[in-house]
Amino acid sequence: MSAMTPIQEQVHQWLEEERVDIFLAYRIVEGHPLPYAFTREHIEETGELVTGPARYSLEKFATHIASRYPDARIGMVARDCNQRALNVLRVWNQLKEGQVETVSVNCCPSDLRAHADCSYLERRPVGVVKQQLGQVPNQAVADVDAQPSAERFDRWMYEFQKCIKCYGCRNICPVCFCNECSLEHAELIGTGHLPPDIPIFHLVRAVHMAGRCIDCGLCEDACPAEIPLRLLYRKVNAIVKDLFEYETGSGDTLPPFSILGPKPTMSPTPLLAVAQE
Amino acid sequence: MEMKFVPSICSYCGTGCGVLFEVLDGELVGTLPMKTHPVNHGKLCIKGWNLHEHINSPLRLKNPLLKTFGRFTKVDWDKAMDVTADRLKAVIAAHGPDSVGVLVSAKMTNEENYLAQKFARAAIGTNNVDHCARL
Ligand code: SF4
Ligand code: SF4
Ligand code: SF4
Ligand code: SF4
Repeated sequence: MSAMTPIQEQVHQWLEEERVDIFLAYRIVEGHPLPYAFTREHIEETGELVTGPARYSLEKFATHIASRYPDARIGMVARDCNQRALNVLRVWNQLKEGQVETVSVNCCPSDLRAHADCSYLERRPVGVVKQQLGQVPNQAVADVDAQPSAERFDRWMYEFQKCIKCYGCRNICPVCFCNECSLEHAELIGTGHLPPDIPIFHLVRAVHMAGRCIDCGLCEDACPAEIPLRLLYRKVNAIVKDLFEYETGSGDTLPPFSILGPKPTMSPTPLLAVAQE
Repeated sequence: MEMKFVPSICSYCGTGCGVLFEVLDGELVGTLPMKTHPVNHGKLCIKGWNLHEHINSPLRLKNPLLKTFGRFTKVDWDKAMDVTADRLKAVIAAHGPDSVGVLVSAKMTNEENYLAQKFARAAIGTNNVDHCARL
């Protein structure tokens, strides 16, 4: 066996020392970089651990393990987006404090590093018309806000009517974990036709992502209709930040609109209520 | 505690999207798009996202059922095979192989579907084969 990389050695050690029960990372399977769960029983496999180049929500798998084994100690490789997601999942009680230990991996693009391990950076270029209109991936909220509102409205309605209601945006999202999802609630959103009720389908989800979306872009990666979902949720997060000074993905408090949490409250401004106490 | 990720191909239509099954303790708990698959580039339609659903469905048939005098009764596989073979032989002898049609299913593997069409063509002798995913 060839020499192990520092990360492989560290994972080997964590499993051997029983610091974690299971370690989530990647391994090349049939030519594809796929998520892989490393264990003490098969510790020799750590020699095949890779950290990229594909990107899956390992923390979502961790919540599935934790819901079946509440005391499991889980390790995983984590990019910045994974770290932010882990923070939100802890704040929402989907993972216990200290339950997940991470090995940080680089995802930031740099001249000093040949490969940036982020699928979002490798997206196929958008079509000619979108390029001309400046509708490129990673578009800044401020650039869109600068456009006339009629133009923005037309664009969003155009984007939304492409939706094939696959629910992929919700399914792939690390911070979507509700047992009953509003998007499938017949009284909120009409069922049985395509496109779904627009813009309500997308705006319901956008409201839920306010103060919750950690801007990983996995939803946009997974959207077969190539709707700029990340941009939409960046906008709602910007509103939450401006109005409530709430930073999503760091800190220890629930977001201002936490009416979906374990203790439902219809008060729209819990932060202000806290301040008055 | 055992978690596995098993790559496969969606069987619900002819597109053939790459999927990844999430398996926890031997139980299929979810389906994900395979991000590096050349066909679907990490995207799925609603059918692919729900590939795992029927596997653990309480409505799933786990035994062969034989309909006699209008009622279904559970039988073992040998009995089911014998009755089916006898009836098929009788129908083919009386009306010819093209009186038989074989309908296969997207809820089986590609390999099982292959075997079913082979059975129709080579054993029964008919081209009457169809599949719900022939969109
Ligand atoms: S970017 Fe999309 S997938 Fe990622 S947290 Fe936000 S809504 Fe969820
Ligand atoms: S946050 Fe909203 S969109 Fe996500 S699972 Fe919960 S109800 Fe569904
Ligand atoms: S992933 Fe895209 S197409 Fe699928 S439901 Fe979400 S917005 Fe619609
Ligand atoms: S049914 Fe949907 S997910 Fe499955 S192969 Fe066809 S397009 Fe892909």
